[in-house]
Amino acid sequence: MASSDIPLKSDLILEELKLRQRTREIVDVEEERVKVIIFTCGANRYAFYGGDVREFLPTCDISWVPGLPDYLPGLINVRGDIESVIDIRHFLGEERRDRFAGLIAMAVRDDFRSGVMIDSIEDVVDIPVSAIKAPLATLNGAARDLVLGELEHGGGLVALLDIGKLGAKISL
Amino acid sequence: MTAHLEKYLNLLLFSVRGVHFGIDAEQALETAAYDGEGADDLLWFHEELEFAMTSAVYAAPTIITVGTRGGRQYRVIIDAMEDIAEYSWQDIRPFPAIMEPFTMRNGIWGILPRNGRMTLLVDFIRLFNGKPRRHRI
Repeated sequence: MASSDIPLKSDLILEELKLRQRTREIVDVEEERVKVIIFTCGANRYAFYGGDVREFLPTCDISWVPGLPDYLPGLINVRGDIESVIDIRHFLGEERRDRFAGLIAMAVRDDFRSGVMIDSIEDVVDIPVSAIKAPLATLNGAARDLVLGELEHGGGLVALLDIGKLGAKISL
Repeated sequence: MTAHLEKYLNLLLFSVRGVHFGIDAEQALETAAYDGEGADDLLWFHEELEFAMTSAVYAAPTIITVGTRGGRQYRVIIDAMEDIAEYSWQDIRPFPAIMEPFTMRNGIWGILPRNGRMTLLVDFIRLFNGKPRRHRI
C-alpha cells in the first residue's frame, strides 16, 4: 500500500471523535429530561413540573377573605408580596379538611401566579420526557381536566398536573 | 387622573369576626353606638359582604352612616371600630388577579398589610352600587 493511501492517524482520531460526538448528541436528544416534583394531596400522589414551582412555603396563616369560592381559601404574605392560595383538592376530587397543615407550593406560569396547597413533598426527580405517558382514560373525572400525563414512580402511577390548566380553570 | 388624587388615604379601621377591614373615612359621614334598635334600614356588615356565618356576634357594634354618590345614605353596623389613621397608597396592595373578580363584587378592592395581618379595604360605594340590596334607605 502506498503511503499516500494510508489515512492519517489524526484523521482517524478526528473521525472517531466526531462519530462519538454525534452518538452522544443522539443519546442526549433521546434522553431529554425534565424535573418533576412529586407530592401528596389527599389520598393520592401528583406531580408538577419543577419549572412551574418557584418555592415551597411551610404552613402559614392564610387570611380569609369574604366572597371567595371554596377553592380560594385566602391570602398569604410572602416576604411582603400578597399571594393568593388555591385549595387544589377541590379540583382533584380529594377529601377536604378543615385544618390545613401541609405546604404551599408557589406556582408560576406565564401570567398565572398563586400558592397551591399540598400535603407533603414526596420526591424531586429528573425523568426522561418519554417517561411521561398520556393519561389513562380511567383517571378520576375531577382530576382529568388538570392532568398532562402520567409517570411511574415508586411502584405506582403519578398524575402530572398542568399549572396552566389550573390557572385557566380558575380564570373562567 | 391619579395625579389629582392625594397620596394618602384616611382609613376607618374595624374588624368583624376577626377579619380586619378599612374604609375610606370620607365615606363615613357619622358614627354612633348601636343600642340594639331594629330599624329596617340598618344593614349588618357581614350580611352585605356575604360572610357565610351561622350567627354573627358583634362585640362592640357601631353604626356608621355611609354617604354614596347621588347623596344616598346607608346605615351599616360594623364591629370593633379600632382607629382612623392615614396610610400611604404605596402601602396598599391590589388583590392577586385570580381573586379580584370575586372580591370586587363585594366592594373589596385592596389589601393593607399592617401589624402582621391583612386589612381588607372596602369601598362602600362600589359595594352598594354593585348589586341589589334587600334593605336600603
